Amino acid sequence: MTHSPAVRAEGLTKRYGPLTAVDAISVEVAEGEVYGILGPNGAGKTTFLRMLFGLIRPDAGVLEVFGRTWARDGTATLDGVSGFIESPRFYPYLSGRRNLQLLAGLDGGVPAGRVEEVLDVVDLTGREAEKVAGYSFGMRQRLGVAASLLREPRLLVLDEPANGLDPAGIRDMRALVGRLAASGLTVLLSSHDMDEVEQICDNVTIMKQGSVAYHGTIADLRRQAPPQAHLLTTSDDRAAVALAAGRPQLSVTASQGGLAVRGTQPAVDFYVSTLVRAGLAIRSLTLGEAPLEALFFLLTETGPESGPDPATAVAAAPTAGGGRA
Amino acid sequence: MSTGVPADVRERARTHRAAPAPRRAGTWAAYRGELVKLAALLRTRATLAAVLVLPPLVVLLLRGQRAPADTLFGRHVHDSGFAVPLLLLGFATQYVFPLLTSVVAGDVFAGEDQHGTWKTLLTRSVSRTQVFWAKTFAAVTFAAAVLVVLTASSTVASVLLVGHQPLTGLSGQEVPAGRAALLVVGAWASTAFPLLGFTALAVLLSVRTRNPALGVVGPVVLGLLMSLVGSLGGTGWLRRALLSTPLEAWHGLFTATPFSGPLVQGAVVSLLWTALCLAAAHRSLRRRDITGG
Repeated sequence: MTHSPAVRAEGLTKRYGPLTAVDAISVEVAEGEVYGILGPNGAGKTTFLRMLFGLIRPDAGVLEVFGRTWARDGTATLDGVSGFIESPRFYPYLSGRRNLQLLAGLDGGVPAGRVEEVLDVVDLTGREAEKVAGYSFGMRQRLGVAASLLREPRLLVLDEPANGLDPAGIRDMRALVGRLAASGLTVLLSSHDMDEVEQICDNVTIMKQGSVAYHGTIADLRRQAPPQAHLLTTSDDRAAVALAAGRPQLSVTASQGGLAVRGTQPAVDFYVSTLVRAGLAIRSLTLGEAPLEALFFLLTETGPESGPDPATAVAAAPTAGGGRA
Repeated sequence: MSTGVPADVRERARTHRAAPAPRRAGTWAAYRGELVKLAALLRTRATLAAVLVLPPLVVLLLRGQRAPADTLFGRHVHDSGFAVPLLLLGFATQYVFPLLTSVVAGDVFAGEDQHGTWKTLLTRSVSRTQVFWAKTFAAVTFAAAVLVVLTASSTVASVLLVGHQPLTGLSGQEVPAGRAALLVVGAWASTAFPLLGFTALAVLLSVRTRNPALGVVGPVVLGLLMSLVGSLGGTGWLRRALLSTPLEAWHGLFTATPFSGPLVQGAVVSLLWTALCLAAAHRSLRRRDITGG
């Protein structure tokens, strides 16, 4: 018995006039996966999700959801699919519960008591009678997740669910998504936060300017990430760079008013002790961007000011830039 | 291709509770949802309350004043309780009806843009066509409710406060009370078709402009423009095609020899306007990219 993947996109393209928002991307999300779509703002993540939900029509390519397409199956394409795009929006003049009841009515077949169940899942019990106009941003996000769970989806699509939340809200939202993912639900999560995707997802597609810049497992991504960077300032940075010459396990480059030092921990330790022995004062030594974050920027940023470090670019290039996810 | 799916992921998927077979909601459920939203809106409730309360107040006000002799049936408002609802009807057809219908119809689609809720609606199990008809039916329901309440309120209040004396018709003939009551109700009912047309016009503006204010004010302005154009000389064929003209078709019911030609013609014109506006609105909604809202 064969199962259609939860989502299969092939050569999917969307243009707005001269702008190609999504450029022939291919993505496949297996059932049960927690899949991340990662990219900076404007990378095409939300446009992809809008096409998935039938809110906009692709200009080219194929998009199947559990083997169904919008052209052939219409609204039935969304059977078993739920989620929200950008921030979830509700009728502000209705209460949280009334909003959910209204949406449950639109879904049909939602069992009695399900509204209370999902309110409980997202910790909104006790606030459900208040009008949504008075809800905080985080409460609306959680209400969005509750609305998504009403019809017990097989695929949950969340577009930047932690966007705009305070740290506690982010923690709660991640915990909630983690719990849902652990229940076997297929989750397609769009984010611009590498840390969020790393914590939650099994596989990731990184998008850049409408194209796929990387696709692979989070484990592979970790392997391909550059070593942890340290930011170093010394009494004589020029001399410090000279002392790094001839050390293959170490990369020292000028960065943000100091030096960016990348290498294995023993190599960095040895280098720092060498600087001290050479009479250079260490004025500061702090952790730089996380390895995955560095790789994310490497894959998604272009231009002279944000260009990748040549050494790490060479390391990452073989796995990046594939047109197919 | 998907990268290799780890065993734990496959196991999670296997053990996940299968969703029940989907049961689609359809237009009726979407319509009920629209009514729930309308019932919660202050604007809707205030409008219905106004059309219930204002006619009796106007009748009371008229009792203490000289009869407005320069208006249709105005000179008879102290003589027969059936003249007052016709005076009010004549006034309502000027711009009140377009305003009352567009309070809901002009906002019913644009309101989703205003609240950014199109995505919320269209990511459920209802199609755009179902949403379109649900909203349109809700707007028509409201227009019908306004018409019924206004008819009942103005007629009952007038008969109770002025009396049910025979009515003097447009040819000077006396219309007995029973027949006058039927004609008054018939006159109000005859505006149902043009009201449907104005509702459809407001729906079209609501869909196209995505702006509730334009959706509400637009039909009023267009209605006034049509009345203005209709009042110009030498525009016979154009006058017949205007949506404002059928609002006056009831006059023929109150002549000594009643004639119904304008009523039939008005109904046809109104239905044409309705069909054209709704077809254009539906097409626009179907083809539209939902990005912002």
